[in-house]
Amino acid sequence: MILRLLNRACVLSGSVRLKSTLSTFFDEMGKSGIILKSATTGIFENLALEDWIHDHVDLQNRSMLLSWRNSPAVVIGRHQNPWQECNLPLMRRLGIPLARRRSGGGTVFHDFGNINMTFFISKKKYDRHRNLKVITSALKALRPDLEVAATDRFDILLNGHYKISGTAAKLGRTSAYHHCTLLCSVDRSVLSSVLKSNTSEVIKSNATPSVPSPVRNLLDVDPTLDSDTIMNAVASQYSNEFGFDGPVITVDPSHEALMPGIHKMAQDLQMWEWIYGRTPKFSVCSSLVVDDVTVKLDMDIKNGAVEQCAMEIPEDWLPSEMVNEFTSALNGSKYCPNEAAVLVAAFTRTVSVTADVAEKIHRLCAGVVSVM
Amino acid sequence: MAMCAALRCVSANFSAALPLLTRPAHIWTCQNSLRPNVLRTLYTSSRLSGALKFTDKHEWVRVEGNVGTVGISNFAQEALGDVVYCGLPEVGTKLEQMEEFGALESVKAASELYSPLTGEVTEINTNLTDNPGLVNKACYEDGWLIKMTIEKPAELDELMDEAAYEKFIKSLDS
Repeated sequence: MILRLLNRACVLSGSVRLKSTLSTFFDEMGKSGIILKSATTGIFENLALEDWIHDHVDLQNRSMLLSWRNSPAVVIGRHQNPWQECNLPLMRRLGIPLARRRSGGGTVFHDFGNINMTFFISKKKYDRHRNLKVITSALKALRPDLEVAATDRFDILLNGHYKISGTAAKLGRTSAYHHCTLLCSVDRSVLSSVLKSNTSEVIKSNATPSVPSPVRNLLDVDPTLDSDTIMNAVASQYSNEFGFDGPVITVDPSHEALMPGIHKMAQDLQMWEWIYGRTPKFSVCSSLVVDDVTVKLDMDIKNGAVEQCAMEIPEDWLPSEMVNEFTSALNGSKYCPNEAAVLVAAFTRTVSVTADVAEKIHRLCAGVVSVM
Repeated sequence: MAMCAALRCVSANFSAALPLLTRPAHIWTCQNSLRPNVLRTLYTSSRLSGALKFTDKHEWVRVEGNVGTVGISNFAQEALGDVVYCGLPEVGTKLEQMEEFGALESVKAASELYSPLTGEVTEINTNLTDNPGLVNKACYEDGWLIKMTIEKPAELDELMDEAAYEKFIKSLDS
């Protein structure tokens, strides 16, 4: 491994000694605390980096802080329902990906104006308040007049009212990670529009819900508080709190040789079965208006797939055999607009229908897809 | 668990009802003389029969015939806090010993669950869907998580019996 020391930072480059991984590198460093920064801004690569460190690095006598930022993405908690938490059609139009993380908690929007911080430690020493204190102390060291404080829910509030940070955590076999966001200069108009579901009223689910809060950016209260300044301050404070000294190490999660298996972890996080398929069972009960006709739609979705689909449609608008064919086509399919559209198109080709009926089925499909 | 809860309830009622008087001496004596580990022993000997075996990750398994019922121990549910969601596997899922099979979510930490044995999931506790708090309230009874087949009975010998588990958690406290 070649280390290049740049000021206080050092960058691990791609050329690696055989059998040497990031894990052995940390062991060789022999430090009780390490600060990392991710070189990538891809949400899946960064979530995979967290999981890789959690699974492979010995954290029994060591603590680590990883800071990372992403290009725009929405991240839901492990047991959440994306249809309930965010506006999926809007996200598709804006090209904003959805990710499901392995920790619990609620839904957040990330962009370059948000800093994510992950505190890795042994399960024994897991202490979220201690971690949040690192952040609030760092901010106060930068700007003594700043009113920031952590709550019982492990949020950080600005001026006692605006949420600037939310927390989630995962407890594994022997170690744990606690990660949180920090709003520096996030695009708040995008945040509020993507985090508002277009279909939550029609969904009945026991998935863990988010707790919406009014938010603010640190940059709004002090234009000199940019992400780099803040990340450096937090790194300093972390070193003080956890009692060690060392450079901030930049890690690139795309280096498979350095972190064997990380590429697959990132791939797994992008699979439909993980992102959508892990949604707890829910039901959709909606009244759609198609061609001035009211259609009652009832669906049960399990593992992201339509387990059961029923529709009430006036017989004179569409004959019941057609309706039955339509619902059968959807049964067992992914609860996904593309999949539904493809299936319905396929079924209209296999049954002989008049052009008029075909048009109606097409519009009905558009209505159904609007809740996906 | 029942005795613990009863003592807590009694002391709570007293402190609410008699804020200005000193607490009755006999209640204090009870609390002081019964140390936590003694309470745990009283609890475990009073609950259901059916030998429990424990993993060092605080899961338990109770064997009845060919089926193992799996849950988390009192130590684990206390450490977890109020469970708000149980993420359990599908019936039919094949599990290896120590394989992650789901997660319990509580106060925003998702805690992974590890299979104590190799086998296939035959049943999951559907009561936990609407009532995840059962894991806290009755972790050895109604708060069970999954039932599974026991493909390798020898694995049971590797697990701790109750006495060994009690010793194990005492060693963690120190």
